[in-house]
Amino acid sequence: MTGPGAALFVVTALFAVVGALITVAARRPLRAAMGLLVHIVSLAGMFLTLNAHLLAALQLLVYAGAIVVLFVFVIMLIGPEAETGPIEGRLVSRSTAAALTVAVFLAVATSVASFDAVWASVDADFGTVEGLGRAIYRNALVPFELISITLLVAIVGAIGIARSRTE
Amino acid sequence: MHVHASQQLALLLIILFPLAGAVVNGLFGRRLPKSLVGFVGVGSVTVSFILAVTAFAELFALRGEGVHKAALTYHFYEWFSLTLPTGAEVPINVRFLMDSLSGVMTLIVTGVGGLIHLYSVGYMSDDDGYPRFFSYLNLFMASMLILVLGSSLPVMFVGWEGVGLCSYLLIGYWYENRDYAAAGRKAFVANRVGDFGVLIAMFILVGVVGSFEFADINAAAVGGHFRPDFPVWPFGVVPSIATVACLFLFLGCTGKSAQIPLYVWLPDAMAGPTPVSALIHAATMVTAGVYLCCRLSPLFITSDVAMSVIAVIGTLTALLAATIAVTQREMKRILAYSTVSQLGFMFAAVGVGYFAAGFFHVFTHAFFKACLFLGAGSVMHAVHAHGDADIFKLGGLRKQLPTTRWTFLVSCLAIAGVPLTSGFFSKDEILLGATAQIFRPDDVLMVRVGWFTLIGLTLAAVMTAFYMFRLYFLTFTGEYRSAGESSEGHGYDPHPHESPASMKVPLIFLGLGAIFAGYLGMPHIAPLVGWHLPSWWGGWMEASVAGHALPESMNVINIASGLAFAAMAIGIGSAWVLYRNKSEDVLAEKVPARLYALVLDKWRVDELYDAVLIRPIKQVATLVGRADLTFVDALLTRLPSFNARELGRFVSGLQNGVVQTYGMVLVIGVVSVMAMFWTPRAHVEGALEGDTLQLVAAPGLGYQYRWDADSDGEFESSWSTNRIYAPTYGPEDVREVVLYVRSRRTGAARHYSLTDQWTVLHFDRLDPGWRRIPSFLPIAARLHGGKVLLRLNGARVFGQTDSPEVVELHMGRGTGIENLLMVPRAKVQATVEVRNAFGNVSTASREMTLPDGYLPELHARLLPATKGVPR
Amino acid sequence: MEISAYLALSSVLFGIGAVGFLTRRNMLIQLMSIEVMLNSVNVLLLAFNRAYPSNHDGQAFAFFVIAVAAAEAAVGLAIVIAYYRLRKTIETDRATLLKH
Repeated sequence: MTGPGAALFVVTALFAVVGALITVAARRPLRAAMGLLVHIVSLAGMFLTLNAHLLAALQLLVYAGAIVVLFVFVIMLIGPEAETGPIEGRLVSRSTAAALTVAVFLAVATSVASFDAVWASVDADFGTVEGLGRAIYRNALVPFELISITLLVAIVGAIGIARSRTE
Repeated sequence: MHVHASQQLALLLIILFPLAGAVVNGLFGRRLPKSLVGFVGVGSVTVSFILAVTAFAELFALRGEGVHKAALTYHFYEWFSLTLPTGAEVPINVRFLMDSLSGVMTLIVTGVGGLIHLYSVGYMSDDDGYPRFFSYLNLFMASMLILVLGSSLPVMFVGWEGVGLCSYLLIGYWYENRDYAAAGRKAFVANRVGDFGVLIAMFILVGVVGSFEFADINAAAVGGHFRPDFPVWPFGVVPSIATVACLFLFLGCTGKSAQIPLYVWLPDAMAGPTPVSALIHAATMVTAGVYLCCRLSPLFITSDVAMSVIAVIGTLTALLAATIAVTQREMKRILAYSTVSQLGFMFAAVGVGYFAAGFFHVFTHAFFKACLFLGAGSVMHAVHAHGDADIFKLGGLRKQLPTTRWTFLVSCLAIAGVPLTSGFFSKDEILLGATAQIFRPDDVLMVRVGWFTLIGLTLAAVMTAFYMFRLYFLTFTGEYRSAGESSEGHGYDPHPHESPASMKVPLIFLGLGAIFAGYLGMPHIAPLVGWHLPSWWGGWMEASVAGHALPESMNVINIASGLAFAAMAIGIGSAWVLYRNKSEDVLAEKVPARLYALVLDKWRVDELYDAVLIRPIKQVATLVGRADLTFVDALLTRLPSFNARELGRFVSGLQNGVVQTYGMVLVIGVVSVMAMFWTPRAHVEGALEGDTLQLVAAPGLGYQYRWDADSDGEFESSWSTNRIYAPTYGPEDVREVVLYVRSRRTGAARHYSLTDQWTVLHFDRLDPGWRRIPSFLPIAARLHGGKVLLRLNGARVFGQTDSPEVVELHMGRGTGIENLLMVPRAKVQATVEVRNAFGNVSTASREMTLPDGYLPELHARLLPATKGVPR
Repeated sequence: MEISAYLALSSVLFGIGAVGFLTRRNMLIQLMSIEVMLNSVNVLLLAFNRAYPSNHDGQAFAFFVIAVAAAEAAVGLAIVIAYYRLRKTIETDRATLLKH
């Protein structure tokens, strides 16, 4: 696949990596949240290259619109104490963690690099609201309903946990 | 042949009554009144004695009817059976047998035992452990009766161990005293050493005879089954199996019957109550060894070497113990050494081949030695001496203890061998046996043993008379030397008193026995006058005991009687001169002081054993204990616990509550798993699926395979996930031709690689028979011209009569040559390459010999072409 | 573009998220790192679904992942707030009560 799809992938991949790095390395949580926003938006763009139109929309709605906002709210709620020093933890454990993680993703990268699947042609409704909706409502109705219950429980739980107990 | 008149239930009941008494007294004795405990104890043995008498009467009647080897048996049940290496099944029956030998022994055990039980009622009346004592004593009776009545070695061994146990329990009866408990242990350990000998002998005997029954063993000995030599030759001597078995049996006897080298426990055993000393350590248990020798006398008599050893050891024991007895100061100790000495007499009699005489001494000795011990007990009871009584603190007791004095005197006369007492007859018989050995013209060994025995026993007899009368005079004549003591101190009661009736009655009965028991076994020819006297004993014992015939020559008889009489006279006379009415040890002043001290110290044998055996063993034990402490405890216990503790500390350090640490451990786990799956695992097996040869590779997640069935470096298949591959092989794939040879006779198989040169096939290891048949020259095989050729060298093809020089073998097909089956088979090599999801590759290859059943017509074409071995 | 590019990107993103989660002490940033990791998995799911488009299983799965991520973020942030109320800090290495 070449052309505009490839270009879009390169650009969005670049932004996604940079956003992720900012998220992980930023000293201030707010800056990290902004990095996460960049990461999420660029991934939403990348989803378009994968014929996942509905998910791209959901990515923007849920992640960018809800989760990142939620993060920002909490940062505001906590205030300046939300910021901790950039040099955190012991150097040994940090470098070990980094090395091990790099080892993992190198291993995965070498394995996937030798994976030679080719893009297949897709139906017109692949990844559209209609196609994915039909798939979910036909094949995954029960999990879908369970997810709604999960979200409900999470909302109730979040309120219960975050409620101040002093009064 | 034993007469199975009927099942003699009485034999079982004789044993069961004391056993029941032991159970009742042992379990409920503490809650029963004392009188009932005594009644149960004495009553059970009395019933047992009455049953024994009736059984004996029946046996006697059988003999009267002229049945030669009369015996009563009771077959209780089959205990278990064992299988010999030869495959023979040996049943071990709980069967009881009363013949002339065990009948007499049963009477001794129950009769003397009953009297001693009665005596104990009075003697132990003040003791707290009264029920315990009677329980042990009854248990002893039951065990001893099992020992005596058992018709086979294992049953006898049950009794043998049982009496050993009771002996241990009763020696250590006053276990609060450390020395007494130690004495019990010593007896037990010494007996265990002997028991080991009995066990070994048992195994040897069952190996040779195939039966544990005494009757079968004796019949085998008479029938000459013990001729084969023992397979071990120590010091160049070739002992017969009979010798080895007899020596091991005798080792057991030295333990149980207190002979050199294991006699040391018996003197210490006097720590037990006096009735125990009388019953177990004088009258019955210690004679079990003699009984065993008599029981197996036909076996013993086949081995001159073993008999000589027994005679010499018996004589040495008699002498050694007698010398020690001469110097001792305590009543029971003197009697103990006297017992050891008299047991030596018995074994000397057995050793020179006069089993009946030895057993006759067992019989008479039971009476006078029991009487002596009970007399000593009576004295101790009278003066309130605990444990033992020092004769130099006694004296003049003839006035206060008249009954005890008279019975004691009678028994002393008997043991010293005064004419017309029982001891005279039995000791005379033993000396007669020893003298007869001297006059045996045929055997140098026997003559020497006879001389040694005769001289040794005569000296021992002199000392016997001497120390017994030393004991008697110092105890009963002169003045009472503890009269001035206060009864509060360590001395003896200043006012001795005669014992109660329950103690006097047994003394009187036993004293009468000491005089008159000997008349059962009067010499068959009276000395000097030469009258032929009726000797009931010899004739009675003949039925179950082997032995040499008694000598008829007047010379022999006169010498033996003269020596016995002279020994008695010298012994009593010197004791009379030295000790009558004396109060101090006169002998000590007349012999060198150091010698006297040495003998008084029992020749320091205990110290010798301590230095030579016990201390080295203890040192080894200490060393091993230290090794245990440093090796097992430190290395095997503390080190692992240290490891576990430190590991725990390290791991619990990881449990620090910080989420990142947990995450890190998780990542480490992921990396480890990935490292494990980094390279694929390659392994290939050949499998025959019907007629198709399949190569099967080991499975794995995401594995892909490609195959090179003939390992020529070119892969026949492309990558696929199929791990089973069915190749076809052609002649060009064969790496080697292998000739498989299997022996039809032995089932062993070997294989040989073939080349285009003749290969000689050696079948020695395959079938040892080939080497022994000289006509079978080595067979050779080669590949030639696309064929497998076999040069027969005279061997025949199976099922054919003529022998061609060369035959052709077909690949994958069997050809029989004599009793060997030969199959030439092709060998190939298969390789598989495996790739996993990481793209890593590994290979495995396997050499396979194509199976017999692999497509025969295809296999037949698999012979490599003319080149011989390819590649 | 080859699918392997997507897969490599996915593993790179996952690695970045994992390093962030393991090395940062700030709870908020750790939660964001988790989001990064979840997103990387979504990329993988979608890429494979694109390569084998006979059904929508990969996309449906990614859909559920997004929903669960939302729930997780809500609860996680609530916990952060509760913890901050309690300790006046959001450093994870002070949150070691469960150790004892």
